[in-house]
Amino acid sequence: MQTIRTIVVDDEELARGIVLEFLTPYADINVVAECSNGFEAVKAITELKPDLVFLDIQMPKLDGFEVLELVDKNLAVIFVTAYDQYAVRAFEVHAVDYLLKPFTKERFDEALLRAREKMSRSHTPPLDKVLTAARRQEVPLERILVRDGSRVNVIPVDTIDYVEAQDDYVAIKSQGKTHLKQQRLSDLELSLDPKRFVRIHRSYILSVDRLARLELYAKDSRMAILKDGTKLPVSRAGHAKLKRLL
Amino acid sequence: MHPILGNRERLAIYMLVWLMLGGMLAAVFALPKDFSWPEALSLAVPLTLLYGSICLSSYYLCRVFPLHKSGFAQLLLLHIIAGFLTSSLWILIGNGWVALLERLNLFPLLSARFVSKTPLLVGVGFILFSLTVAVHYLIMTFEASKESEQRELQLRILAQEAELKALRAQINPHFLFNSLNSISALTTQNATAARTMTLRLADFLRKSLRLGAQDSIRLEEEIALAMNFLEIEQIRFGSRLRVEKQIDGPCNNCLVPPLLLQPLVENAIHHGIAQLVDGGIIRLRVDWSGSVLHIQLQNPVDPDRPKNRKSGIGIENVRKRLRAIYYTDAELLTTEEDGWFTAAISLPAQTGGSYSHRLKRGGPNGLSDVSNK
Repeated sequence: MQTIRTIVVDDEELARGIVLEFLTPYADINVVAECSNGFEAVKAITELKPDLVFLDIQMPKLDGFEVLELVDKNLAVIFVTAYDQYAVRAFEVHAVDYLLKPFTKERFDEALLRAREKMSRSHTPPLDKVLTAARRQEVPLERILVRDGSRVNVIPVDTIDYVEAQDDYVAIKSQGKTHLKQQRLSDLELSLDPKRFVRIHRSYILSVDRLARLELYAKDSRMAILKDGTKLPVSRAGHAKLKRLL
Repeated sequence: MHPILGNRERLAIYMLVWLMLGGMLAAVFALPKDFSWPEALSLAVPLTLLYGSICLSSYYLCRVFPLHKSGFAQLLLLHIIAGFLTSSLWILIGNGWVALLERLNLFPLLSARFVSKTPLLVGVGFILFSLTVAVHYLIMTFEASKESEQRELQLRILAQEAELKALRAQINPHFLFNSLNSISALTTQNATAARTMTLRLADFLRKSLRLGAQDSIRLEEEIALAMNFLEIEQIRFGSRLRVEKQIDGPCNNCLVPPLLLQPLVENAIHHGIAQLVDGGIIRLRVDWSGSVLHIQLQNPVDPDRPKNRKSGIGIENVRKRLRAIYYTDAELLTTEEDGWFTAAISLPAQTGGSYSHRLKRGGPNGLSDVSNK
């Protein structure tokens, strides 16, 4: 019999307990990990590659949505929360189901059945784009989450100097370090505060308060000199945007 | 209601003024030696007082044609006609009075001399009528403004009451759902604990309903409610939640608005303990200095948490409530330092009466006998 590798994520032991209890009758469910915060969840999901995750939303470190943003998307997710206001967002990220605490055994079984159906269909929709779309409507990002192996780096946007596009990745320069994240520069641009971050070039987003001065190199060709001396190219459109902001 | 007839004091003043006018009119009659003083007085005073009474009726005219809703020309014409009619009526009555005095043989040959004064009397009557009209308009304007002021005041009080009601802490439904979920889990894992939690929850709900209905409660009750809440949360969070409290004894008797602490405690859990992997300690400290009561609640926070997650409307509501009840005598300050979030309330320490009567000076009546530590 093929087992369903399952992870239960909730910061409350009792809340994990009831999920585990309701899972006991199912012989094919194999709970491979229990996590009590967002970091643990990202680590466990990345390392153990489960088929199914029961995911709380309000947790220390990272919330449920942030956890999903950082892990591979080919898994079934059942959100378990006391808050009903996240339901729409949960289905936008293709959650299998959304259990509202407290829930009955019948409702729980139904969610599990849906998860099985989804897993048998095997193909998973491209969650990445959906996630970004859901993110875009929110307030500007205050921090960027980057996964490095099974570790999560939290980069507050205040610490970002600039972001450079590198193929499918963005390289985020912050406090002398470079963090690589699989994302398109244009998507990141949309989720950053346009008052603080400007796309100065096809390949660069600049944090405006890091700018020391602009230098003219040739006609219509400028360089942005940052406070730490870094030089970045500025396109004509980028220059227009900068001028508008300053 | 007639603004002068309906008010004894005003009526007395009004008639006194007319009595003086009567005296003046008598002087006008007597000084040119046309009339003797007794003649002049017995003519002028009764007639003037009578005229004063007649002129009171101009109020009804003023009411039908209010100052701001009628055209100026229309008003002028109206009152000129009314003035002449009224003063003519007065002259007629005056002639009757003269005839009566003559008939009684008190004063001889009165009517001939009275007729010579007719143009003067019509003029005086007209002027006095106009003055009465002006007085009526004045009183009406004054009363209208007083009334609108009162209505505005009433509306403000109503709005404030409604706002206070809205700001009063409501039981957070997520707290209820999470607690019920814990009970649901405990029923199979630990039935005794499930019962304990159910009872604590019932206790908390009953207390918060009872206390929430009052205007002010003793701080001791408010703290007991907060502790009750924290005990329930302790079942949920286990060892992640610890509580320390340090309360200066006499403060327990101070009166505070009910459920003032509750939003702060919820905030400390939701934005503090619940966001920390290892949880932490919630510290409650209550003391007083002079006539001011200090309530301080501290909780650890995750320094890496997103800053744009606001500390919540709970804190803002407490602030608004304090402002509505104590104006500038109370405040709530929040600070964050070294991973600790602090909410500090200072408010007038009161032990008796309603807190809506603001404490002006002097020490807290129940605390003053306690020496400072």
